[in-house]
Amino acid sequence: MSGNGTDTPVVHMEKIVKRFGTITALNQVDFTVNRQEIVGLLGDNGAGKSTLIKVLTGVYPPTSGKIYFEGKLVNITSPRIARALGIETCYQDLALVPHMSITRNFFLGRELTRHLGPIHWLDLHQMDKESRDALRNIGIHIRSPREKVGKLSGGERQSIAIGRAQYFGAKLLILDEPTSALSVGETHKVLTYTLAAKERGLSVIFITHNVGHVYQVADRFVILRHGELVGSYPKEEVTEKDIASLITGERER
Amino acid sequence: MTRRVAAPKPRLRSWLESPVAGPLITFLLIFFLLSFVPNFLTMRSVSGIVNAATLTGMITVGITLLMIAGEFDLSAGALMAVGAFLYGGLTMNGSPPLVALLMALIIPGLLGAFNGLLLVWTGIPSFIVTLGTQFIYRGALWVYSGGIMLQTVQQIPIYDVFNGRMDFIADLIKDANFRTALLWLLGVVFLFQYILTRTRFGNHVFAIGGNPGAAKAQGVNVNRTKVICFIISGVLSGFAGVLLFSQYKTAKIATGAGEELKAIASAVVGGALLTGGEGSIVGALIGVMLISMLRTGIILLNLPFIPADNFEAVVGVTIVGAAILNNWIRSRA
Repeated sequence: MSGNGTDTPVVHMEKIVKRFGTITALNQVDFTVNRQEIVGLLGDNGAGKSTLIKVLTGVYPPTSGKIYFEGKLVNITSPRIARALGIETCYQDLALVPHMSITRNFFLGRELTRHLGPIHWLDLHQMDKESRDALRNIGIHIRSPREKVGKLSGGERQSIAIGRAQYFGAKLLILDEPTSALSVGETHKVLTYTLAAKERGLSVIFITHNVGHVYQVADRFVILRHGELVGSYPKEEVTEKDIASLITGERER
Repeated sequence: MTRRVAAPKPRLRSWLESPVAGPLITFLLIFFLLSFVPNFLTMRSVSGIVNAATLTGMITVGITLLMIAGEFDLSAGALMAVGAFLYGGLTMNGSPPLVALLMALIIPGLLGAFNGLLLVWTGIPSFIVTLGTQFIYRGALWVYSGGIMLQTVQQIPIYDVFNGRMDFIADLIKDANFRTALLWLLGVVFLFQYILTRTRFGNHVFAIGGNPGAAKAQGVNVNRTKVICFIISGVLSGFAGVLLFSQYKTAKIATGAGEELKAIASAVVGGALLTGGEGSIVGALIGVMLISMLRTGIILLNLPFIPADNFEAVVGVTIVGAAILNNWIRSRA
């Protein structure tokens, strides 16, 4: 790992091992995400996809292995540290608060305030304006920033979570099953925003079961099975069918 | 995302969505019906309704805050007794009034903190934690006081500051017997309405009640926010005890028993969700006033099957009815 040029991967995980007691959840897994690349992370239930992501985002410490972020060896011991590096995760159910407005969700934990002496108050006007502009800039049009998130469709919610991550300077976006509960039309929108995020310079890890969805947008596919790396395949080299058989183990490498 | 749904006009629609809409509509409806009852629309009745609601109103503010955060405080009534005893005992034996007041706020505040810490350390639901601590706090009060009732005939000026008669209003308007506690309640209501809707802390309270996982993922300190809510509830319960002693000049171990349930009922009538994430302090104030209004209305009605001492049955019907109506209004919005 040298320099900080454009060829340096955003993330490089090396020989990651994660054991829970006697169970080996990840065994010597290598995983790389390049700049402005969408990587489809695929595998059956229990293959180790979410364990790998939790190691990357500081939820679990790895048993052994190294993580490089933009070429530098890092020690990600908490989600806060992952976030400070620019790694943002959009979990399916843990992204937004349904009873709160788009604006309040957008700035949750990073609220803009004004103050007079020791008295602070939320700058709702500015937050409305910025969240509306930020979402519009990435092609997401909302009716009103004061609208409650609970009134939005699943796809609209996903897109707001993606927009928020981009606005706050994420370099690597992790989408956890972003399309699993969505209709065809909604899925299409989320895929469009994912591509738009890449166009704006982000790297994306797209975790899913659905080969069809991820095949439309990913540049490369990384497949895990039983905690081990099956392989990493550029899109040109595999068909949807190949990927499906690699996931199940019908086909070996 | 340009799809538009046929719905009421945007402004009306967004107003109906607000948690205050349901309680206000219910309040006005019942007020309209009760206005036909003889002697209901008199200053004597109106001021009586308001005065009877102020003590419950004070603890309802803290309870509503906690319910929005997704938690319960069943120890609020016990902490009200603790506040009343500390304030009453200290003022009676000649301690400076400010010391008495501070003790009556700080000690219940610390006990509130203990509720919150037990919750975040053990992970036991706050309903259970405070169901237990309310007995512990009343037990401690029994030990502190020796189980005796506190009573005084002294008239110390500070009693009038917190819950005295406002004779200048009664002089202007006949029978308008409002008390100073109302001013304290309105001050606290507007302060906490502001804190909830216009500050970072308030935003976090809604978030931890609405989706704790999302709040945590966005860097909100869920545990700290919860403990602060419990401290606020404790302090306001203590303050309710101060208001109580200032008016009645008496306190016993059982003082404030059941107040926490009335406060929860008021919060629910006022639009708070039992599941957290939604509610309003102003709505809860409307809820407290509604229940108090209904009580007076029932007493004045003098119904054959519902004598004055059975008005709670009607209150029960209202609580359930208001909760159903609130849900209905919100689902239509």
